[in-house]
Amino acid sequence: MSKEMLKDASLHMGRRSFLKMAAIGASFGAGSAFASSDSIRPATEEEVKNPFPGSKRVKTICSICSAGCGIIAEVQNGVWVRQDVAQDHPISEGSHCCKGIDQIDLVKSTQRIKYPLKKVDGKWQRISWDQAVNEISEKMLKMRAENGPDIVEFLGSAKFSLQQAFYFRKFAAMWGTNNIDHVARI
Amino acid sequence: MTQQFGDAVNAKVIMMIGANSAVANPIGFKHFLQAKDRNGTKLIVVDPIYTRSAAKADLYLRIRSGTDIAFVYGMLHIIFKNGWEDKEFIETRSYAMDQIRAEAAKWTPELTSDVTGIPVDQIIQATTLFAKNTPSAIAWSLGITQHSVGSSNTRILPILQIALGNMGKKGGGLYIIRGHDNVQGATDMGNLADTLSGYYGLDDNAWKYFATSWGVDYEWLKGRFFEKKWMNEKGYSLAKWYQGVLQEEKTYSSAPIRAVWIQGTGITSMSQQAKIKEALDKVDLVVIAEPFVNEAAVLTSRKDNIYILPVGTQFESEGTVTATNRSAQWRSKVVEPLYESKSDEEVMFAFAKKFGFYDQFVQGMKMDVKDGKVVQVKNDFKWPDDAVREIARTIKSIGLSGWTPERLRSHQENWHMFDPVTLEGKGPMKGQYYGLPWPCWDDKHPGSPILYRRDVPVAEGGMGFRNRFGLEHNGVSQLADKSVTVAGSKIEGGYPQLTKENIEKVLGITLTEAEKAQMGGSWAMDFSGLIQQKAREAGVCVYGNAKARTIVWEFPDPVPLHREPIHSPRWDLVQKFPTYDDQPKNFRVETKFKSEQQKQDWSKEFPIMLVSMRVVNLSGAGMLERTSKYLSAITPEMFANIHPDLALKHGIRDRDMMWIHAPHGTKIKVKAYHNHSVTADRICLPYNFAGVFQGADLSANYPEGTKPYAIGESSNTITNYGFDVITQISEFNAGLCRVEKA
Repeated sequence: MSKEMLKDASLHMGRRSFLKMAAIGASFGAGSAFASSDSIRPATEEEVKNPFPGSKRVKTICSICSAGCGIIAEVQNGVWVRQDVAQDHPISEGSHCCKGIDQIDLVKSTQRIKYPLKKVDGKWQRISWDQAVNEISEKMLKMRAENGPDIVEFLGSAKFSLQQAFYFRKFAAMWGTNNIDHVARI
Repeated sequence: MTQQFGDAVNAKVIMMIGANSAVANPIGFKHFLQAKDRNGTKLIVVDPIYTRSAAKADLYLRIRSGTDIAFVYGMLHIIFKNGWEDKEFIETRSYAMDQIRAEAAKWTPELTSDVTGIPVDQIIQATTLFAKNTPSAIAWSLGITQHSVGSSNTRILPILQIALGNMGKKGGGLYIIRGHDNVQGATDMGNLADTLSGYYGLDDNAWKYFATSWGVDYEWLKGRFFEKKWMNEKGYSLAKWYQGVLQEEKTYSSAPIRAVWIQGTGITSMSQQAKIKEALDKVDLVVIAEPFVNEAAVLTSRKDNIYILPVGTQFESEGTVTATNRSAQWRSKVVEPLYESKSDEEVMFAFAKKFGFYDQFVQGMKMDVKDGKVVQVKNDFKWPDDAVREIARTIKSIGLSGWTPERLRSHQENWHMFDPVTLEGKGPMKGQYYGLPWPCWDDKHPGSPILYRRDVPVAEGGMGFRNRFGLEHNGVSQLADKSVTVAGSKIEGGYPQLTKENIEKVLGITLTEAEKAQMGGSWAMDFSGLIQQKAREAGVCVYGNAKARTIVWEFPDPVPLHREPIHSPRWDLVQKFPTYDDQPKNFRVETKFKSEQQKQDWSKEFPIMLVSMRVVNLSGAGMLERTSKYLSAITPEMFANIHPDLALKHGIRDRDMMWIHAPHGTKIKVKAYHNHSVTADRICLPYNFAGVFQGADLSANYPEGTKPYAIGESSNTITNYGFDVITQISEFNAGLCRVEKA
């Protein structure tokens, strides 16, 4: 499979299926298609202007501190490919700190939690969402039946959006407790 | 924050106390540097450590941690003695300043110097600079709040600004620099044990109001609690929830805590790590929902009944975020949740279904106000837009009514049309301030970039002080003086907050029967919006125009008082300025004050002050940044800054490992960095590490492939006992320790 085919394919496919195909391509081995001398072709005019043809620039906000700096996230086929400063943002005016400029790596970090986990006999095990939600809710409801709703402490987040934060407060209320908090005590 | 960062350029002096925004909030600090460059603004930094912010200061004052109140009284002493206060402002817009004046009279420069450790001439110099060059502004952060006197600290600084007439002005005010990106918003939304969203509290009126807006039956909601009384009682706080599990201190709750649900809180940034570990080991269930491993999962040695659910970052969901200046910003989704992650709201929805309250949970998003009543208007909902609307119709207390999805999206699309200094909109955005900083009273209001300005009309962001604490106290009116008229107001001078009962009299209007039928009881609980509408017509602010009270009669210290930290290096001053009596109950648990402080002279065995510090590459529990290779490389290991004189006294050379011991018997092993930012009586250390506990490497506890590039001891293992008497925030920033070569 040539590089060009991969690129063309990537434009018409979702990110996940693209990754799968890339994996197939890689399985040919370094000695095959990728390394052959005729695989390097002249870059198109569009590619010279932009290495990520067809990408869109999404305006968003840094998730580190409360200054509220603007971020321009460049997205191609559902993949965040490049982060740029927001020159025209009224608070950050094109500035970023070292934490903020690294937001793209944060999202794409390989150290992310990739699937639900459960510890069994001291070992972490991969489980499905269904299993996780079923088991956790069963245990929670059992304890609630035994001792009432104040058996839990809900710890929310200063990184929630406003809507998630409003809903987390409602979540605790409808479970039936005021045992809810996050980092800002004052 | 009463101002917005762009306004810093209008300040003649900025005093930063208990904040190091050069590293914690660098883009905020950039505005202070711009003010220095463009306006010649002088920067005073008051801090126990010579920080990176201090390095940029015109004047640096090295304060002993936990003595901020003494320092500010020292300033007020000099101000009152020289007549530098704003007499008219005090007279017409504040209450009980005479009581502050009486306390300040005690704080001579000599006494202030003895308590704070700041030389007399520097106290006089800083005060003169700050008081004689108004408008001057104050910036603070967690160095002020994280103390057993944190709530008093947060009162004394505004009092200073009231005394100088620095409130409600360009170039004045308070830069209360918040930490996390949406800590302002999550607090406004009441992710707190003592209130519902919007600071409505937990009384029956609040619950009924929310039940209405959520579209659920109040009786059903009441039935969800163990008993009604627990609905009105504060819950356990993040600071001491573990006592709900361990119950070593006396607790008051309907049940022990058997499960902890952690959705986006770095628990290693909390004090008393050893107790937290014990509690995590002991509960029946731990649920963690995060993009990265919350180090709660690593700290605990439990073998089962612990789950980690993958949640996307904030770039994998959509919603709004409130910046430290109260501006709302629309945060677009960049990518779909990666791996098997769900967004935070999807996690809540999934469990609400299992818990049997999903229909009630999302009902509020199907509702809207029709003829003053909240009624169902559709059968489905769109996230986040309908949640944004639900918040706008509910949270009137801080003025979120104008935060509609349409307006906030248009601010994002047009953010280039706003002036960075004033936040004023241009072109199609003319007449609005960027992000509609709250209060934004209705969908025509421009937002309020500077609080308490009376020189602009309410409809353009002006307002007096809020009438929140009654009409009079000890026979003195709490309303602003006759001379304090907000520009464009139909009412001359002060007026009370508006209610259905008083609105006709206060505004001199007559309501129709239809209006009376629709109107809610008070401005903060009026779904009809009629109170705001009438107020707008009269150029009046719904919350009133009152005096700022300088005393809080319901607090243990109505007048803020200096009280020594729970563990103080000055045993002589502990006797003179003791802490509070022990507290039998706050947030469902007892808390020691005097009994702990005066148990013994802690400074004999633990003579070194323990101070937290910030580093530029890490924030919070540090888990986010420590998974970045390049950010980790800046501080690859946990360390403490120690003055060479102190270190060498203990035979500790630069880069040697050392043990730091805390009074409650815990210890951490960290690398000693010889450093001159600290004096020989104190050490400072970052709080953003985890993964090592009292010398033991916990690497094996990370699920495979999730361990960050840098791990280390959490300084909070040795953060001393101590909690604020009102808010229960931990005393992270004043404590004692001893060191030993490892």
